[in-house]
Amino acid sequence: MRIVEQKSPRLRLIINITVMCVALYAVSRREIAYDQTSPFEKFMIEVMAPVQRSIVFMKTKVSTTIDDYLFNVDASYDNRMLRKKLFEYESKIFGYGEMEQENKRLRGLLAANPEVKGKRVMAQIVAWDASSDFKVIRINRGSNDGLKLLSPVITDEGLVGYIYRLSYNYSDVLTILDANNRVDGIVERSRTHGIVEGYSKNRCMMKYVARTSPIILGDISLTSGLGNIYPKGIKIGTVSRIERDSYGITQHIELVPAVEFGKLEEVIVLLWDGDQEKRKDWDELDGVTHSGGDR
Amino acid sequence: MVNVRIKDLLIGLIVTTLLLVFFQILSTAILPIFELTKYRLPFNILIILFLAFKLESPFLAIFILLFQYIYSFFSVEGWALGTFAGIIVAMIVGYLKDIIHFSSAFLTILVTEIFQVVWFFVVSMLIYLQVGNWNYIFEKMSRFIPESLVISLIAPAVFAFLDRVWKIDDQDGANSFRGGR
Repeated sequence: MRIVEQKSPRLRLIINITVMCVALYAVSRREIAYDQTSPFEKFMIEVMAPVQRSIVFMKTKVSTTIDDYLFNVDASYDNRMLRKKLFEYESKIFGYGEMEQENKRLRGLLAANPEVKGKRVMAQIVAWDASSDFKVIRINRGSNDGLKLLSPVITDEGLVGYIYRLSYNYSDVLTILDANNRVDGIVERSRTHGIVEGYSKNRCMMKYVARTSPIILGDISLTSGLGNIYPKGIKIGTVSRIERDSYGITQHIELVPAVEFGKLEEVIVLLWDGDQEKRKDWDELDGVTHSGGDR
Repeated sequence: MVNVRIKDLLIGLIVTTLLLVFFQILSTAILPIFELTKYRLPFNILIILFLAFKLESPFLAIFILLFQYIYSFFSVEGWALGTFAGIIVAMIVGYLKDIIHFSSAFLTILVTEIFQVVWFFVVSMLIYLQVGNWNYIFEKMSRFIPESLVISLIAPAVFAFLDRVWKIDDQDGANSFRGGR
């Protein structure tokens, strides 16, 4: 059977224009915050991801064997375990310091912020996004493990990102290195707010910080809790560069992320439902806006 | 006259799909193992450029859509942006077909690089319309240059393989798919 008997420029043109219009429509309708996947796409991700995972698994096995048995026998293993514990303790000490400061500030307030509750799910990194435009990682946990879209992802070092695309057993995490990821951050020392965005060369940029704010090199940036995606107090990064012009109202601040993305292997997904009170307020506000718009 | 048998078309599509999946797994899982997380090789562009250069079919746009859809399983970029850029590139190639030749590896590398630049401009234009920020485009360009060079360098080998898969008759310079003979 022949599907094309002769050159048909008119048919080609019609198909080209139709597909281009569909593509343009899809580009314009694309959701920036997250990506809803169809059952077929979920199925295909489920099929492809295990292959990607097996490659990482093989590499891990080979390198672990070489490290543990050929080079150092047990020392390498012990070292990794001790470093992991050290990171945990450092993270705890850092968290206690933050809590102490927070307690002092909020003691006078009637209602304290509720602590972050919910499960923590450990996940392994399976692959990175196929396009270098996107700083997205794929992890081996999905909706079957209780993950939801927009769930925050962290390590013991700090903030990684949030769940952008969800499948049954795998999900894609939009990291803080990606320009599409915007985190409401606060400078720990001066309590200055700003929006942290992905930037070039594995750095982040803290935007909208007033030029007069006393930021210094080495300042630590944390999540502020605004936006209701990330819990408050997670370390984002350290200020590594500051540019203040003699004019303008903001300053250019670069952050080195707390998480070393090049060596990232495992992450923790927080099954955090966000601040329900805030969410209720926002839903109500949205309702008011919508009903106002309808009128 | 271009005659395409469904059987040959299906074989070509299936093998090319498997090749794209293989390349994407290579790019997404193996390169990051060696801490090459900044760069990712856009094999989808290579495959689509091959189709644009060598496949004469009115359904080319649908094939581009198909391969971009497969690519979207590996990237949150999705299928739409690349599909639009791919069709624009394919239309330009269609107009310039008579002056494009792949008689040597150097020409293949050169032509592939040129059309990757065209692809980059189309995608950048769309991104600029969405983001309204040149910084992102410049940053993208710094990654595009090395990535596209690698893609261009491997293009002769990949094209030679795909020529066999699609049974391309390249001797008369027509560079078109004439499967089913």
